[in-house]
Amino acid sequence: MATTLLHESASWLMAAGQLAAEPSVGGVAQGPWWAWLVPGLPIVGLILATLSAIGGVKSKAPAFLTVGCLAGAFVTTVALYMKLGTDTVAISHAWDWLSFSWGDGPGQSFHAGFSLYLDSLTLYWMLFVTGLATLIALYASEYMSHDVGLGYCRFFAAFNLFVFSMACLVMGDNLLLLFLGWEGVGLCSYLLIGYFYKKPSAVAAAKKAFIMNRIGDLGLLLGIFLTFAHFGTIEYRELFALAQPYIDALKAGDVASIPFEAQMIPVLLMIGAFGKSAQLPLYVWLPDAMEGPTPVSALIHAATMVTAGVYLIARTYPLFLISEYALPIVAWVGALTALLAATIGMAQFDIKRIMAYSTVSQLGYMFCGLAVLSATGGAFHVLTHAFFKATLFLACGAVMHGFAGQLDLRKLSGVGFMKGWGIVGLAMFIGCLNLAGFPFTAGYFSKDMILAESFVTPGMSLIGWILLLTAGLTAYYTFRVFFRVFIGPKHYEPGDELHDHDDGHGGHAHGEEHLHDAGEHGDHHAPGFHPHAPGWAINTVLATLAVVSLLAASLYFIGGDDTAKNWPYKMVQSSTAYQVKVEGAPTAAFLTGGHADHGPHGHSDLGPADDADGHTGEHSAAHGSFLGMDPHKVMYYVSAVVGFVGIAVAFLLHFVGRKEAATSLADRVNLGGLQIAAQNKWYVDEIYHFLVVRPLLVISHIFHLLDRLLVDGLVNLAGFLPRAFAQSLRPSQSGQLQGYAAGMAAGVALLAIVVMVLTARAGGVL
Amino acid sequence: MDTVIHPALLYSLIAIGAVGVVIAMPRRGPNPSIIGALIAAAAGGGVIAALSLSDLGAIPNVHFYIFSAIALGAALRVITHPRPVYAALYFILTILSSAGLYLLLSAEFMAFALIIIYAGAILITYLFVIMLATQAPREDQVEALADYDLTSREPVFATASGFVLLAALTTMLFAGTSSLPQDGASGRVAQTEAKMALLPARVEAALRDAGTMAEGDELVMIEGTGEVDMNLPARTVQVLRAGEGDDAGVVETVPLPEDLKLRNVEALAFNFLNEHPVTIEIAGIILMMAMLGATVLSRKQVQLDEDEKAKQATMLAEAQASEQGPAGAGPVPAGVPQQPTGGDA
Amino acid sequence: MIPVAEVLDAALPAQAAIPEVMPAATLNHYLFVSAAMFVIGLVGFLVRRNLIIMFLCTELMFQAAGLAMIAFARFWLNADGQTFVIFVLTVAAAEAALALALVVLLFRRAESLSTEEWQQMKG
Repeated sequence: MATTLLHESASWLMAAGQLAAEPSVGGVAQGPWWAWLVPGLPIVGLILATLSAIGGVKSKAPAFLTVGCLAGAFVTTVALYMKLGTDTVAISHAWDWLSFSWGDGPGQSFHAGFSLYLDSLTLYWMLFVTGLATLIALYASEYMSHDVGLGYCRFFAAFNLFVFSMACLVMGDNLLLLFLGWEGVGLCSYLLIGYFYKKPSAVAAAKKAFIMNRIGDLGLLLGIFLTFAHFGTIEYRELFALAQPYIDALKAGDVASIPFEAQMIPVLLMIGAFGKSAQLPLYVWLPDAMEGPTPVSALIHAATMVTAGVYLIARTYPLFLISEYALPIVAWVGALTALLAATIGMAQFDIKRIMAYSTVSQLGYMFCGLAVLSATGGAFHVLTHAFFKATLFLACGAVMHGFAGQLDLRKLSGVGFMKGWGIVGLAMFIGCLNLAGFPFTAGYFSKDMILAESFVTPGMSLIGWILLLTAGLTAYYTFRVFFRVFIGPKHYEPGDELHDHDDGHGGHAHGEEHLHDAGEHGDHHAPGFHPHAPGWAINTVLATLAVVSLLAASLYFIGGDDTAKNWPYKMVQSSTAYQVKVEGAPTAAFLTGGHADHGPHGHSDLGPADDADGHTGEHSAAHGSFLGMDPHKVMYYVSAVVGFVGIAVAFLLHFVGRKEAATSLADRVNLGGLQIAAQNKWYVDEIYHFLVVRPLLVISHIFHLLDRLLVDGLVNLAGFLPRAFAQSLRPSQSGQLQGYAAGMAAGVALLAIVVMVLTARAGGVL
Repeated sequence: MDTVIHPALLYSLIAIGAVGVVIAMPRRGPNPSIIGALIAAAAGGGVIAALSLSDLGAIPNVHFYIFSAIALGAALRVITHPRPVYAALYFILTILSSAGLYLLLSAEFMAFALIIIYAGAILITYLFVIMLATQAPREDQVEALADYDLTSREPVFATASGFVLLAALTTMLFAGTSSLPQDGASGRVAQTEAKMALLPARVEAALRDAGTMAEGDELVMIEGTGEVDMNLPARTVQVLRAGEGDDAGVVETVPLPEDLKLRNVEALAFNFLNEHPVTIEIAGIILMMAMLGATVLSRKQVQLDEDEKAKQATMLAEAQASEQGPAGAGPVPAGVPQQPTGGDA
Repeated sequence: MIPVAEVLDAALPAQAAIPEVMPAATLNHYLFVSAAMFVIGLVGFLVRRNLIIMFLCTELMFQAAGLAMIAFARFWLNADGQTFVIFVLTVAAAEAALALALVVLLFRRAESLSTEEWQQMKG
């Protein structure tokens, strides 16, 4: 199997090499022109939404126009998939964006076109991006209905711009177009987090997200620069062909011949990925980003934009493979982020924030998946996570919408049993099962792929243990939310964001706290407030998403002869995320690090590997193991058990014996400082503030003082000296006309005398 | 240094002149301006006499003494007379005598131009302004004069600085002229004479008057230029004879009459129009700007507040309406051309 | 002794037969008159307080300059000096027009021609 894999890789890379020389021959076909509809239709939507804003439309028209455009983009993507399948690589070239040349040699020209690079990875990503965007736009049409008018148009304009930018990011055929999309999604994220711009916390969160992303973007930009400096191109087609010699060297075990410069490219690129995908140390913006409207949280900050980092790594996977540093760093960052975010999530009370930390944690999983050479696992987890996390967010959003912004899990209980909330509760349940990795859900399978592979990959077993622990914690905090909010005795307290939505009750429940007994419906006993059960749009979307997130599990089984050759595998492996896998010591990273540290697990076998393939059950001694067993076989059971344990603990602590909403067994558990620290997010924000913000403030104050005293002082001195000099001459300006004339006459006389004396002296008289 | 006047003599004369001028300045109380003027005149006369005596072969025309005496005396009166009108009139006297000096310097065109422009135009403007801007006192009513006309301002310092300048100037001038070539202009004469070639009509008339050119004879011109073919060092021109028989078509060289010389006006005209044409343009622009500026500046600016403006505007509108009303309503009289309509233009 | 007959002979008005070369010593006379007139104008400008008279004094200085230029034109037999005097006349006329307009304007404001009325440029 490994031989075939190698063979495939070689042929693919050779094909790519040919493509560089002959763009229209070989596997790179001319892509269909209508591929441009995918980014084009959201632009149309953007224009329509803008026109609506200009025209002062006071209806839900912008929302449905957006839904129409996005659905068109989705249908186009599906059609592209039908046409191109999983094996074809095509490029749709629109126009030359930038094209410079200052010589004929290599690296002396710069080309970046507006071209779409259509391969299976692109289609894989765009399928769920456009699909989810369509559904969430439909959801938002109801969710944002309190803001119909200018704000509504603004929301959907930014929404469309986001989908366009995401399409550029994912479909662009060069790193510059990717960067354009990257910045575009960052901008839209900023705009949408700060949607409620009159709310100081939203504005602060938007700024935080923007600045944090700037740090990451700097890394990405430097990475792109270095790519161009080293390879002389930023177009994928040529780039990966040029990287081929390094991959050959890697296969020959000659890692030392790969230049350090080339190995640093992925390190820089990953900084960008960490910023955008909220990994340590740049993750702190994502939980705050929940200040934005919930559909935004669901689409941008859970399902699509934050996976851009994963996409970047998957897209430039060959570059990561040839670096000794890149993948281990990615693995450790991912694993630590996953664990840290999970521990914070366990202690939070705001359900949307819990979901946010869960997103950070799951993104860590995806990075680990890529880093432990399971690009398929990472990509599959992206897909499943996109659906179930969107489901969870939208369910939370429905609760928030219905209970006037109430998100505190201590103040809500039994929501799923209330009238009209059944679908929300059910969707939440399905989402929770997925997130917790309950057996036979989609989340279960995708998480398993990562977990198993991390034990398989040499030198990564510690990562595997961390991820396994995180899986248990995830199951716990997920069901903590479910048990407390969606089942149990009915109870609620409204939040403080009453919308003026339906019946004129709005506005007078501010600050009131009504405690309701179990069984009492709010609309009988809560003067001034009704829970606002979701309407058809929200319910439809939730139901669809819940079903899709369940059905996503089937992708694990379809498309191939066995589970290891399933549909995501095909989609990922036929793209640039191809794994150049030499069994046992697959990449530069594991050639040097893994071999030395993990002797028993990491046997290096650099010859033509012919005995095993990482995805089948036949393992050699070079294969890593889980407590002596084959990870691929046992991981199904291990992770299921871990998930069950997490759910059981949540059940014990948060459901058993809970009579009142706010009282549960968990309240009697006191972990002291640890708990408080977790509640305060391990004081990461405070540490950043102390380590970064405070020194910067001090430095800037010093510079301010320097500027004021030194620079301004010099400038003022330069102004003062002439003024003082002039002051001494001032009295000579009497204002008398004749005074000036007399001065002039005396001056002329003086000059004449001087000339006279000089002339006389020259004549020898004086 | 070859001094024209001994410095000690020159400087003492100038100092005496300064004292005279100071004494002549207007002031309150006893005003011995006549005495001061006499002292100053004596000093000035002393300098000129010394100049004349220094080189008896180059004594100027006697009219020079008369005109310069009048010019300087009138100039002194301009700055000492307390009444502006008299000062202006004395200035006219200065101009007239200066014009006399110009005549002595054979600049007759400039002399007349000076009288016409200065005495005739500029000084009349001054007189108008003086009349506009002062209340003229009655005869012998010195006290009615404005205070600023009666007293001078720092006369000693001003005169001292002025006469120090005069001492420096005269020293340099006399030293400078003594180093000038005595026949510096002789080369110029030929250069000026060359312009005669541009005046064929005058040359021809002079030749006919002298009898060297008969009826039907023609001056030989330089081909294609309209200039007389003149041999200047020899002062000869060529004449094409129109005589009978053998004489027909013979070209003869004929001397120019001795008295045929370029007149001053002609020389000035050549210089002015031939060599400095841009000067004329610039002068024209300056004059036009000055006219516009004077018009704008001296316009009487009436300060009206908004109410008055509105009132005037309505009055104007009513006046227009009453003018146009009957004319517009009534029939158009015969013979008055109709307003052209759009189509037939 | 002074040869009276010769002096008189020379001083009597001769026919203005030009161009005759003028001796430099004769030029000195005109230049002295010009310098004296200039200084008188300058002193008057400094001494008098009436704006109009001050302008008259500037005209006097123009006049002196013009006389010097005409004298030099005669000395060198070059009409450039006369041409320049024409230009001076032009400028003098323009200056007189503008200056007198300003004087009228100032007089309307202060009802006085005294220069002491206008000291806004005092430092």
